[in-house]
Amino acid sequence: MKILIIEDEKELSQSISDYLKSEDYVCEIAADFQKAIEKTESYDYDCILLDISLPGGSGLEILRQLKHNKKLDGVLVISAKDSLDDKITGLTLGADDYLAKPFHLSELSARIAAIIRRKNFSGSNLLQFEDVTIDTLAKTVTVENRALELTKKEYELLLYFVSNKNRVISKNAIAEHLWGDDMEGNHDFIYTHIKNLRKKLSESGQGDLIKSVYGMGYKFSTP
Amino acid sequence: MKLISRYNRVNLLVTTLVLLLSAVFYYFFVKAVLVHQLDKSLKTEQKEITDYVTANHQLPEPSDTREEKEFYAPVSAMQYRRKFSTVSLYDAHRRENVLFRQLAFTVLVGNQIYRAEVWKSQEETEDLVKLISLITLGMVIVLLVTLLLVNRLILNRLWEPFFSTLHQIRHFNLSARKDIALEPTRIDEFRELNGAIRQMTHKAFSDYDEIKNFTENASHEIQTPLAIIKSKLELLSQGESINENQMDIIESVSGTVHRLSKLNQSLILLTKLDNRQFSEKETVDIGNLLLRQLNHYEELLLAKKIHLDRQIQVPTLISFNEALAEILISNLLTNAIKHNISGGTIKASLDGQQLTVSNTGRPLSAPPAVYFERFQKDSISGDSLGLGLSIVKKICDNYNFTLSYRYEDGFHVLKVKWNAN
Repeated sequence: MKILIIEDEKELSQSISDYLKSEDYVCEIAADFQKAIEKTESYDYDCILLDISLPGGSGLEILRQLKHNKKLDGVLVISAKDSLDDKITGLTLGADDYLAKPFHLSELSARIAAIIRRKNFSGSNLLQFEDVTIDTLAKTVTVENRALELTKKEYELLLYFVSNKNRVISKNAIAEHLWGDDMEGNHDFIYTHIKNLRKKLSESGQGDLIKSVYGMGYKFSTP
Repeated sequence: MKLISRYNRVNLLVTTLVLLLSAVFYYFFVKAVLVHQLDKSLKTEQKEITDYVTANHQLPEPSDTREEKEFYAPVSAMQYRRKFSTVSLYDAHRRENVLFRQLAFTVLVGNQIYRAEVWKSQEETEDLVKLISLITLGMVIVLLVTLLLVNRLILNRLWEPFFSTLHQIRHFNLSARKDIALEPTRIDEFRELNGAIRQMTHKAFSDYDEIKNFTENASHEIQTPLAIIKSKLELLSQGESINENQMDIIESVSGTVHRLSKLNQSLILLTKLDNRQFSEKETVDIGNLLLRQLNHYEELLLAKKIHLDRQIQVPTLISFNEALAEILISNLLTNAIKHNISGGTIKASLDGQQLTVSNTGRPLSAPPAVYFERFQKDSISGDSLGLGLSIVKKICDNYNFTLSYRYEDGFHVLKVKWNAN
């Protein structure tokens, strides 16, 4: 999977690239408008992370050109500037998703995975982890071909974990993912969901896939 | 008090006073002139009498008509000064007392001194004066009424540019970015006023742009470093060699970064609301929005064992801004969830008139209105910024909704009245 990170803050694009690389994504970085245009014109990417304010031009202009050239690259707008306006403009221009700065890298990774799935570049809506199969189109989960009944939030949680497998995900990131950033800090709320999901997975014959990482959060990995 | 009434009051008072004074003066003046005329003809009478006496050495026959009477009586001393006076005499012709102008003088006939008195009726003079006074009074009234009407007409027309300017100022909206359209006028004062207003609006526009740019830049400049810190912390926490103690520190820094960025966003949103940067209105189905958000929190409520009691009219269409509607509802709901108690209740009701969100919770430690102010929060809920309700209040102010908060029967009741807008 090829990802293009269009972001002028080197430190941020480096962090994103570091995090995504271990997910088997190939990341390229464009730090200004001109470079971004060159890259988007010459290559195809599975997903483009697009910052709106760039030296040399607006990210929205790049988006316009992509759509004008009928490029199929998935576009995730990441912006800090006036989220209310940029969000609407970005989505009307045909961006696939919008994420406001500052974001959790785990959230970014989950959103990228969702865009790529939706664009169906991999040719499948099935996600596999060990014996757990998630059908992202039907929104169903099977374990060794037996259906696993999950609530809506448990499903979202599992999908989030699978998109960030082998990663420590903070409780804040989970809370924000499930209920938006207003609920961040209310960790007792997510505890119940984690407990239930963990129980359902182990009852279906899987080992303990969700490990607690002291003080920080959880990690989804092979037992 | 209207300027025109004020002006009319002073104007009419002064005009009436001056006109009445001049009418009185005119009355006496005309009267004096007419009496002087009478006196002149009396003098002619006197001359006729003395001429008659000189020619005939005897007094003429005294006349006694409606207009003129004469009377002679012998006296002992010569009176050199003739004497005019006004007397009231019984007139046999009219059978009433009538005013006469009298001239008394002495005349020598032979050796005998006579005192002669000649009277001329003043009645005609009186009538004339009365008539002239009446006409004058009538003219005063006509003049006053005319002045009043003309003033009203002219002043209204004269003030027209002023009212047009006032109307323009009233409908002036900074965020709409439309220049104020002032009608050209030939009156210097209004031209000056319009010039000053034009200058002021241009200044307001540039100030407004400056603030808008500043808030947007501030948001951008602060959120980006925060994003870097957040991402570095997350990368750091992936390290295998991190111990529990260091994890605690990372988590605590990460939480603080989130707080900072949330604070930044909230303050910028409040500034934008203060600057009325959200002026556009669209029809928003707030019923659907509310249902969607309640759905979103459904499992959270279940986990917290909070009972939800809802009466929502769908669709409920109001003139609002979609993004702000989401923030309003989200803030009210998270507020009701965060400050609830385990096993508590949330009641949400919505119709075309109002939205009510009430929740069980600890009693308030301050009067409800205090929580609409910035950074006011119950000390117990540590993770709240104390800006949620201020934002709700500001949004309501922007769209002329009425927000109220009261605590009754163990429920915190927040009510938004849509009002007709």
